[in-house]
Order: sequence, then C-alpha cells, then structure tokens
Amino acid sequence: MSILIDKKTRLLIQGISGKEGLRACREALAYGTKVIAGVTPGKGGTKADAVPVYDTISQAIKKHKDINATFIATPAPFVKDAALEAIYAGIPLVVILTEHVPTQDSAWIQAHAKAANVRVIGPSAIGIISPGKAKIGSIGTGDMIRGFTAGPIGVVSKSGGMASEICFALTRAGLGQSTAIGLGGDVIAGSSFADMLALFAKDTQTKAVVLFAEVGGSYEEDAAAFIKKTKFVKPVVAIVAGGFGSLLPEDTVLGHAGAIVSRGRGSYESKIKALRSAGVVIANTVEEIPTLLKKKLKI
Amino acid sequence: MRLYEHAGKELFRQYGISTPKGVIISAASKLPRSTGACVIKAQVMVGDRQKAGGIVKAENYIAAKKAAALLIGSTIRDEKVGKVLVEELILYEREYYLSFSYDSSTRSPVLALNAKGGTGIEEAHVFPIDLLWGLPKFFVRNALLKAAFPIDEISGISKIIEQLWKFFLDEHALLAEINPLFKTVDGYIAGDAKIILDDEKLRPAERHYIDMEGDIAILASGGGASMLNMDALLRAGGKPANYTEYSGNPPAEVVRELTKRVLSKKNLKGCWVVGAAANFTDIHTTLSGFLDGLREINPKPRYPIVIRRDGPRCQEAFAMLREAGLKEGYDFHLYDSNTPMVATAKTIVDLAYATKKI
Repeated sequence: MSILIDKKTRLLIQGISGKEGLRACREALAYGTKVIAGVTPGKGGTKADAVPVYDTISQAIKKHKDINATFIATPAPFVKDAALEAIYAGIPLVVILTEHVPTQDSAWIQAHAKAANVRVIGPSAIGIISPGKAKIGSIGTGDMIRGFTAGPIGVVSKSGGMASEICFALTRAGLGQSTAIGLGGDVIAGSSFADMLALFAKDTQTKAVVLFAEVGGSYEEDAAAFIKKTKFVKPVVAIVAGGFGSLLPEDTVLGHAGAIVSRGRGSYESKIKALRSAGVVIANTVEEIPTLLKKKLKI
Repeated sequence: MRLYEHAGKELFRQYGISTPKGVIISAASKLPRSTGACVIKAQVMVGDRQKAGGIVKAENYIAAKKAAALLIGSTIRDEKVGKVLVEELILYEREYYLSFSYDSSTRSPVLALNAKGGTGIEEAHVFPIDLLWGLPKFFVRNALLKAAFPIDEISGISKIIEQLWKFFLDEHALLAEINPLFKTVDGYIAGDAKIILDDEKLRPAERHYIDMEGDIAILASGGGASMLNMDALLRAGGKPANYTEYSGNPPAEVVRELTKRVLSKKNLKGCWVVGAAANFTDIHTTLSGFLDGLREINPKPRYPIVIRRDGPRCQEAFAMLREAGLKEGYDFHLYDSNTPMVATAKTIVDLAYATKKI
C-alpha cells in the first residue's frame, strides 16, 4: 500500500503547456505514472509531448473517465479557478504546486473542497511520491530521484526541499519510504499533518512517520491533539524549524507564508511542547532521524 | 503589508465605518490652530502603543503642539516616529473588540469578538466562517450573543461587522481589526485600525530579506531548510547578518541581485550558501547567479564562503566554482548532500571566527 497515490493513479495536469506543468508531466511519465490528459484553456487539441491537451476539464473527463487526480501548475492568479473547476468535476485528489496564491483564494478553494469532499494538497506543495509506484509533482526531479526508495516510513513536510532532504537521509540509512508528501507552508493549506496521519494510520506499509514542522499556524498542535485523541500507535519523529525567529519581532514572516513568528500558540516552544506531550520524538537535525526511527522500530 | 493606523482608517471610511475626526501631521508646526482637546497618536507598527508611550492626550492646542513635537522624531521600541495622527477626543460609553482574520486550523476566515475592547485584550470569542454561506445576519447575531454583547446593540454592531467583512474580502486583508470600537451617543466609531493586506495580491513573489545584527551573511534556499539552517547556525555559535530565502528555481539574475544585497553589508566574516537537496532547482543556474553577484562586490570578499548544495547539475556547478576560486582567489568550501547541512553550520562558524583550522 501507500497513501494518496499508487499504480492506479490516473493523472490530469492543469497548466500542462507551461514550464512547470510540462516538467511535472515529463517527470511523472518518466517515473511510470500515467498522465492521461492535460488542460490549458486555449490549447485544446494540441499535445504536450504525447499527452492530449483539452480546453476544459469537462472535455478531458468525457474522453478519459478514469482520471482520479489532478496537478495544478498554473500561474497564481488562475489557481482558484483551476482548483474550483477540478472540485466541480469531482476529481478526488487535487495537488497544487503554484506558490503565492492569495490567502482568500485558498480559503475559497478549501470551502468548496470541504463541501465536495475533495482532498486538496497545497498550494505551494512540491508534490507526492510513493516510491516505486507513482509520483505527482516536482519532487525528486531528474537524477534526484535516486534519493527515494520504497519502504516503511511516511514523510510529511511543510517544505518541499526538506521532504527530499529527509528521504535522502532515510535512504542512506536503509529506510525506504511509503509515501512522502510536501504539504506547502501557506497560512491556509489544503491538508494538514493530522490529515496525513489519519491516512498513514490505516496504511499497512507505513510503520512510522516523520514530520517536518515549522513555526506559525497550528498544524503541529493539531497533529499532537490528533495523536492523543485517536491513540495513533505508529512512532512519530518530528523536526521543528524556525526557533531562531525568537530573535525577530512578532508577526515576522519567515521562509513560508504561514511561518509567522508568534509568542504562545504557534511558537517554536508551543509546538515542541505539544508534540512531546503526544509522545512524538523531536529530532534536532535531519541526520538524527534515521537513528531515532530505528530505535523506536527496534531495527 | 501592515498599514499605519491613519491609512487603515482612511480605508474604513471608504467602507462607511466612522472614525474620529483628525489630521495626520509630520511636524508640530502643521497642527491646525483650531485643535482643542485631542489625542495624539504616533504612527508606528508596535503593539500596545499606549503602554509604550505612543498615545498622549492633550487638553488644548498648546499642550497638543508640545506633545506632537515630543513624539515626532522620537523612537518607540526601536521604531522612529515619522507622523502623528491628531484626533478629536471621543466620549464613549463602551469599548468593543471586532476583527476578521484567517485561521490555519479551520482553514477559513474567522470573526473574533470581545464585548470588552481596549488595551490588554488577551482572548476573544472566535467564530469560523464558511465562505459558501458567507456572513448571514443570523450568524452575526448568534456570534454577538455568544460573546455577551448587550442585546440592544446587536443590530447596530451587526451593521459595522457587515461593513468590516466587505472591507476584509474586497481589499484582500489578512487581518482587519477594530480595537476599540467606541459606542457613543451618536453611534459607533472605530478608535483604531489594525490592517494587514495580502502581499500576494499587492506584490507577488517578492524576495524575502530580513536584516540582522551578526557577521555571517546567509544565502539560504528553501522555505523550510532556510529556517532549520538558521537554527543550526545559532546553535553552532554563529551570528547571522541577515535572513533571506530564495527557492523555486530562481533565474540567475535574481540570485545575483540577492547576493549583491546580502554581501554589500560591511564587516562580514563569512558567507554561508546553504540548502537542502533541491527537487528541481537548477543548481548550476543558482550558483552562476551567486558567482556573478560575488564578482560585483568591492572590495573582493576574502572571507570564507561555505557552500552546501545538491540537486540537478550540482557537480557541474561545483566544477565552475572550483575554477573561479583558483583563478580569482575566492575561499570556497564546497559540500554536497553527503555532508549534513548542520555540519556546514559548524564549518562556517569555525572558519569565519577562525577558531579552528579546517
């Protein structure tokens, strides 16, 4: 198993004619993921490499009834409309790569996704990889794919770069990954750590989970509450970034839009405390993670 | 982007929210002769201005002029006062707190209310808003009652909340806060305005740069990795000269300009270029931009430059830097993802402060 994507994933790419869309298309195809169709308004009837391009999702779905995931790489001003089009069409998984999506647009996307029971990952999400099975997005481009191997560890990260860095460290230590997900670090993200933990709880391949967390927002505190409430039994190791923010004024925005220097809830200390109280092991460096996991898993 | 109080109030008026009558001045001599009893408010971003001495009451023109002269040009918690807002004194019966903002947990806008507004607000009643429902009157009524607002004021305050909601959505605000909202015999008046507008709407994709007091220049890539690395640098005893972050496969010119900005600081002792194993950022492009920027710095940086990168075309980029280092005399120390990021924090600290030969 794995979560979100596997060999049965049939992918649509919105914004397939753009640079990032085309790159994601080639990357997915090279990894063996079935890219069924693309959508770029005005480019219907053309092809992106060998993939047919349509003007609208409804045209694409009419021809390709098996589409079950979409990847959005349109410019930021068009993301809201693209995501609503996908949600309206009932595509169950929507992954948004685009950065700098206005917060209100993200809030509208979430409101519709919730009502339609659609899973959204992102915006600002690097993508998802279930090593050996499927890949969506710009995670592990080109030669960097060597850092990902199949195995028992789930990886969830607010940061795309750190998702890869962690998978590299795990692979080097002989620990493969079930699924690695970049959630994006926006103020409003489609999916949270807790959402992914809920999926990993049911996934038999996953034996432990690594979280890459950051200051700001409350997804870490929510994850801690989720672990306690549902008695999540798989070991969780987390690394929290942004402690240096205590040197800066409150409300300073750090590396991601949602990484906001806060005192109290949302702060570095609050997150560490909440995670520890839920039994999560805190790592200070990426290199410590495999050792801590092996100790927990007794391997 | 956070707005000054006077700019926020100007926007409020456009949305029909009343504010006290006032003038914004940058010199005490500009104070209108007709000024009477008033409040002089320093236009600074610091929180709790009252406590910090940024809000002064005056009984008449002479006292107001004196207070304005003292405030303008002074410093309040490290922020210089350029302008003051001089407003009529409002006689009020009660003060309330109202705001709209976004909440990560509910992934929606939230209405926050407190029936006791003013300084020292710690907590508010928070009501998540389902955008598909919008903000119907019954919802606001329920919220006001739950937050223990007086029943005879529900309809009056509901009107202000409707106006503030329209403002919040139309102006793409991330925060729209009125604290206090004065209740007077003539109606409701916004005593203050704390507004943050969404930068993604105003100036998308601006690069991040925060000045700090140390002497190690940082060029960090990746939102998450940059923060983790700053933490690691501090743990290793390094003093960062700045925080900056660039990611998402930036063109060489962007990296060049950022490099110039970061390295133009005086008295640097080292430079640390660091990032996680990149997913799709072309490392050759990135480091070409860095080298271009480096070449424009005068005098030529002789301090150690520690680079820890990996990703597409990394080895090609390192070969280019090795050659430039030899020919042009830069003190490069290059590491790929076989060396942990945090280990290179120690390396730059040791080299920059010359505590140890490497």
